[in-house]
Amino acid sequence: MESIQSPAKAPHSPSWYGGAIIVAALLHGAIRVFSRTTLLHNARRIEYRIRQDLYARLLALDLSYFNRERTGDLLSRFSNDLTNVRMLVGFGALNIINTAIVYLSALFLMARISPLLTLLAVIPFPMMIFVVKRISAAMFRRSKRAQEELARLTSAVEENVSAAAVVKAYCREEASIEAFAAVSRRYMASNMRMAQLRGLMIPVMAATGALGTLIVLVIGGQKVVAGLLTLGDFVAFNGYLAMLIWPTIILGWILNLMQRGAASMSRLNEVLLAEPGVTEPADPVTPARIAGMIELRRLSFSYGETPLLREISLVIPPGSRLGIVGPIGAGKSTLVRLIPRLFPVADATLFIDGTDINRLPLRTLRDAIGFVPQESFLFSRTVGENIAFGKGGADSGEIGAAARLASLDGDVARFPDGFGTMVGERGITLSGGQKQRTAIARALVKDPPILILDDPLSAVDAGTEEEILASLSGFYGSRTVIIVSHRLSALRGCDTIVYLEGGRIVEQGSNEELLARGGRYAALHREQQLRREMEEI
Amino acid sequence: MHFQGIYEDEIVGKAYDRRLLWRFAGYLRPYLHLVGTVLCILPLTTAAKLAQPWLIKQAIDNHIVTGDLAGLPAIALYFLLLILAESLLSFLEVWLLQYLGQRVMQDIRLELFSHVQRLSASFFDRTPTGSLVTRLTSDVEVLGEMFAAGIITVVGDVLLLAGIVGVMLWMNLHLSLVTFAVLPVLFWITFTFRRRMRGAFRQVRARLATLNTFLSESIGGMAIVQLFTRQREEMAEFTRLNGSYRDANMPVITWDAALYAAVETLSSVAVGLLVWYGSGEILAGTLTFGALVAFIQYIEKFFAPIRDLSAKYSVMQGAMAALERLFNLLDCNEVLAEGVPAPSPRPSPTGGEGEVSAYSGADDKKFPPPLTGGGKGEGERDIPFIRFTDVWFAYNGDDYVLKGFSLELRRGEKVALVGETGGGKTTVTRLLSRLYDVQRGGIELDGTDLRQIPLAGLRRRIGIVLQDPYLFTGTVEDNICLGDEGVRPRGRQAAALVGADRFIERLEKGYGEEVRERGNNFSVGERQLISFARAVAFDPEILVLDEATASVDTESERLIQEGLRGLMAGRTTLVVAHRLSTIRDADRIVVIHRGEKVEEGGHEELIAREGVYFRLYQLQFRG
Ligand SMILES: Nc1ncnc2c1ncn2[C@@H]1O[C@H](COP(=O)(O)OP(=O)(O)O)[C@@H](O)[C@H]1O
Ligand SMILES: Nc1ncnc2c1ncn2[C@@H]1O[C@H](COP(=O)(O)OP(=O)(O)O)[C@@H](O)[C@H]1O
Ligand SMILES: [Mg+2]
Ligand SMILES: [Mg+2]
Repeated sequence: MESIQSPAKAPHSPSWYGGAIIVAALLHGAIRVFSRTTLLHNARRIEYRIRQDLYARLLALDLSYFNRERTGDLLSRFSNDLTNVRMLVGFGALNIINTAIVYLSALFLMARISPLLTLLAVIPFPMMIFVVKRISAAMFRRSKRAQEELARLTSAVEENVSAAAVVKAYCREEASIEAFAAVSRRYMASNMRMAQLRGLMIPVMAATGALGTLIVLVIGGQKVVAGLLTLGDFVAFNGYLAMLIWPTIILGWILNLMQRGAASMSRLNEVLLAEPGVTEPADPVTPARIAGMIELRRLSFSYGETPLLREISLVIPPGSRLGIVGPIGAGKSTLVRLIPRLFPVADATLFIDGTDINRLPLRTLRDAIGFVPQESFLFSRTVGENIAFGKGGADSGEIGAAARLASLDGDVARFPDGFGTMVGERGITLSGGQKQRTAIARALVKDPPILILDDPLSAVDAGTEEEILASLSGFYGSRTVIIVSHRLSALRGCDTIVYLEGGRIVEQGSNEELLARGGRYAALHREQQLRREMEEI
Repeated sequence: MHFQGIYEDEIVGKAYDRRLLWRFAGYLRPYLHLVGTVLCILPLTTAAKLAQPWLIKQAIDNHIVTGDLAGLPAIALYFLLLILAESLLSFLEVWLLQYLGQRVMQDIRLELFSHVQRLSASFFDRTPTGSLVTRLTSDVEVLGEMFAAGIITVVGDVLLLAGIVGVMLWMNLHLSLVTFAVLPVLFWITFTFRRRMRGAFRQVRARLATLNTFLSESIGGMAIVQLFTRQREEMAEFTRLNGSYRDANMPVITWDAALYAAVETLSSVAVGLLVWYGSGEILAGTLTFGALVAFIQYIEKFFAPIRDLSAKYSVMQGAMAALERLFNLLDCNEVLAEGVPAPSPRPSPTGGEGEVSAYSGADDKKFPPPLTGGGKGEGERDIPFIRFTDVWFAYNGDDYVLKGFSLELRRGEKVALVGETGGGKTTVTRLLSRLYDVQRGGIELDGTDLRQIPLAGLRRRIGIVLQDPYLFTGTVEDNICLGDEGVRPRGRQAAALVGADRFIERLEKGYGEEVRERGNNFSVGERQLISFARAVAFDPEILVLDEATASVDTESERLIQEGLRGLMAGRTTLVVAHRLSTIRDADRIVVIHRGEKVEEGGHEELIAREGVYFRLYQLQFRG
């Protein structure tokens, strides 16, 4: 479209041609801005969509996925890999279209002048394609490798920043710098392996274009001399050929983008296609309300190969309270995490109100459960927002009431901004006990029929523990409550207590029954009693 | 307690390009030889590129038009050689540039990382992980893009331009001047765009950081999101952030496209002008046909680097926005000063300086005596080993968490710190390992103010079990020894001492078992035991236990107590605990309430006093 029209036929009315070129150029410019912005804006929209899909997928995946993957790796996919894909659908697409148009139009015009010469001019291209094909496959592999290294690097940073306190307390700064340097060097090496291929691609492309020119020069020149081709046609032909040089070089770059984009897309697909182990039921049963009867029928569970929970059977009547004790690693937390289906549960092993939990809509199931996890994770929002997290749109009255139930109100009153105080990432600016009580308040504000407390008072002092236990026993009412604890004091008032060990219930019964039985629970009781007495001496 | 997102969003300020670039140029200094090599190659590549159209002109004018084909093969040969040379040189160029870029990125990344390592705990309290991660990865990657786009070849492009301009002027002055008429327009456009582009790019970087911060937190808290069925709300928030990131990018694209189009259009206008003017000259006989063809090819080549420059232009602006953020972090100087004189120097106790600790009391033969240490006379036992004097401390402003807190620990003493949650117990332990500096008062170790002791030296003497155990990815053994070869031989012994060996040995791979992020494939109690073993393995002079057994069962707790009994002998120990049973054998108990010491003494003494401790005690053992 550009320089081509120029010396075509004889220079009859040159100023007309010149004018035409300028007009065409302005038009062309407008089209270019339009196509460029449209395509690139579109690429951003596609990026946006993919990112939305990625996040939506993360929200749907169960915890076993997050236990496997590293946060840094996921973050890297969301930013760096997505960038590569966007480059492909943006610049890549733009240039592919541009290049194709230029190629086709130039080839068409060239063929009109001399089909034979055109054929000769494109002889080097299949050669190039052959070379490029071989490079491309390697590029894909190396690019994927580089992206993986980048993800590793991201994870290293993420972990190091999260562990700042430990790193400092143990003077591991130098060691972590060294470890980071090693990861960084590996990333650099993988990038350099990419660079080799990139370096190779550009000259291959440039040489291809130049070779075509050479062939045309020699053969075409002879034709002109032999009178088979007019000088004007020959010059025009050369002009068209010159048009191809730049797009050919660009083609090399596009191929690079394509391989990188494809490699990154394959990494994104790993997330997009990850199968959630916990899904909505195909034929949901939606009860009007949940009374809170929980039944375990030969419930087994394993995180990996080795079974952790083995055939646990248990009935927890609605409105009753169950205490779970047992040594660390017995599977107590695992057991309670299965009830809201944070991990996949086998069919017909866990029932709520007689319905298999796999048939309850996830929202119905989880909305019915107030859960205080063993580790209190808070978001870097205000204390109030963290409590309200338990119930969308909870008003300040509800938040205050929940805080009072969890004995958090006193602390909040002393905070400079009250409920509006920001808590820092993971609640870092709160004391351990404050975090834990915020997590309790978050579960209580939900006002759920089932309440699960996993070692909820491990970080609070005896005085606060008493306070909370007292206010909780008022709250329990007709709710079904499950408490995991190492301190028997927290299990006061439980109707049933199970002693879990090695993934099995080894003892089960009321406090009195278990004491009378003289088994492990009784021993535990004795030990805690003994300590008390020892202190009283 | 205020969460100040200093590193969040909108970094405003003027763009100091020259200063930024100058500072950035400093990173090239170690690689001047590479830069030099590239700069030497560039003119050669340029020459090879320039010579090609000239050869074609020669072929047409001297051989094809005249019908003299004899000289054509020679020209073809030269042409071939030139192509070869150009290919080789450009391979070298691309490779070297990439290498250079990667090295510089690596240097900057390492400098950033090392810098972040030195920043104080308060910096980490308020800087979100996602934001820091973005800086060390994505922002640095943008610099890589700048190198890949060829900031160095800007020099080459300029050279190429100069060369082309020279040749064009030499070939035909009139035609050249006609062509260059478009240049002033180009300059004007470029300068107009710069400011807007930079502003847009800053937004882009800041919003990406915000998005990543949200994401990293959301991934960490996924269990909570799912438990409380907040997926819809989180998705809505993510959509908002994602959308605002997308929107921030749109103006950049528009500006970039406009610039690109301007260049393209101008290049066509130049050709148009040339044809219009040149054909007149050919008719007038002042221009050869070959010259016009060559000229048009030169214009193609002339605009290629300009096009290139304009494409680089937006990458450069993006990189500058990233550089601003990186330098911003590097300039953050939130570090604890080391070796500064204390505000209120106290007279040093006679002869007690430098030498540390005597572990004659360590009766546990299995565990080697501490690495640090040398004998000191018994007479010095009564000098306080650790002394908090009227300590006032606030994390933020004047929101004091410790208010005139004083505490003395003698060498080898075991002191327990108890009190209501939020009272400041953890804060005391943090101040002792100098994660923060006190605002008023002072803390001394062995008569020396903490601020005068090198940080590393201080922290190595203290082994602390943090309230929130943190495990790294790696193996169990790595987590106990933290990669310290000196500690490794003691690792398993330490695990045995705290009773962690019981569950570790049951693991499939034992001490080699893989630990996943944050130790999430271990139960909380198991994590606590591992982090306890870690503190013991480092064999510290001072042991600080911050609710170190809060999540373990009674049996494990008993095992730890038995294991530690020998270990603690001779070591100074500060224990924070809620379970009074774990502090029974403390030499002294200190009760802290809302940042103040309210009671102090032995167990019986405090019980007899019937104060706060007594009340706590009663509550816990009422049964
Ligand atoms: N996400 C996980 N992946 C693999 N193993 C796990 C995971 N979570 C816990 N485990 C293992 O399962 C066992 C039981 O853990 P848990 O239920 O947390 O114990 P606890 O009874 O102390 O609450 C532990 O030995 C732990 O190592
Ligand atoms: N990093 C921090 N930034 C701001 N405030 C903090 C931080 N850590 C703790 N606090 C506040 O300081 C007070 C004392 O906390 P802490 O020393 O952890 O108490 P505890 O006695 O329970 O260990 C609490 O009110 C807490 O909210
Ligand atoms: Mg647990
Ligand atoms: Mg604490």
